[in-house]
Amino acid sequence: MATTNATLDLSSDTTDSALAFSNTTALNTAGTTTGVNTMTSVTKVLSSTNQVDLITAASVSTTHAYVYINNPSEDETLYFNVTIGNAGAGSATDTEEIGRLYAGDFMWMPWDVDDDICVTPSTADDMTIEYMVFS
Amino acid sequence: MATTATLTLASTDIAGDPVSVSKVATLTKAGSTNDLDQSSGLNRVHLRSTTEKVLLAANAEGNNLAAKVYLINKSEDASLYITVKINAQTTGKLYGGDFMFIPWSQTDTSASIKIAASNWTSSTGDIPVEYALFHEDTDFLTNA
Repeated sequence: MATTNATLDLSSDTTDSALAFSNTTALNTAGTTTGVNTMTSVTKVLSSTNQVDLITAASVSTTHAYVYINNPSEDETLYFNVTIGNAGAGSATDTEEIGRLYAGDFMWMPWDVDDDICVTPSTADDMTIEYMVFS
Repeated sequence: MATTATLTLASTDIAGDPVSVSKVATLTKAGSTNDLDQSSGLNRVHLRSTTEKVLLAANAEGNNLAAKVYLINKSEDASLYITVKINAQTTGKLYGGDFMFIPWSQTDTSASIKIAASNWTSSTGDIPVEYALFHEDTDFLTNA
């Protein structure tokens, strides 16, 4: 099995005493110390404000995965609405919004591979989105 | 005043060639280049039951504003996990050592972030969880 590590370094001076911490974790299959062995890496250009089924549950064969999504835009006003919910739902009534990924933002989360992860671009102009899935 | 988050993903053997991805994000207010200027600081709680708990209560005032959530399961037991939900939607399970870093929209007051030590038993011991919230103007004190 493969060995894959994820490290998050966070530093902030929003408080008078600066905050900084770092954590590294090995990406393992559910509940084990066995490393994940599958990786998907995709870059897409989206050209409408329609909701897109970015990562489908059907595309992953396990029940535990790790997801990285990145908005590489350099225009701070452009964002993706990231939602999770029923496959291909396309409706705000049956998906839960996680958050907005503005230009330069990334997200990293475990995923139970139960519902699809969808995104909605904030503009119909070309917007690039990158993602990786480890499972 | 700046907050930066750096994610590094590295593997020498998940693909035919080594994989290394590093991404730095400076956390800013929604749609601007102004830095996020408020935080909860780093918090630690111990979960001692399977009961679902509200970790961060959503404030509708925060809808369309920027907020980032960091959450880590500090258990050293790889089999112990916490289930993470937004509202009623499960997003995933954080096993011992796993962390997440996500934007949080707080679309309404139902969009709270909830956690549950789903496979906790009296013999597993506490599951320590650490979290931090970085955000803009929302007055979270109203939820205290």
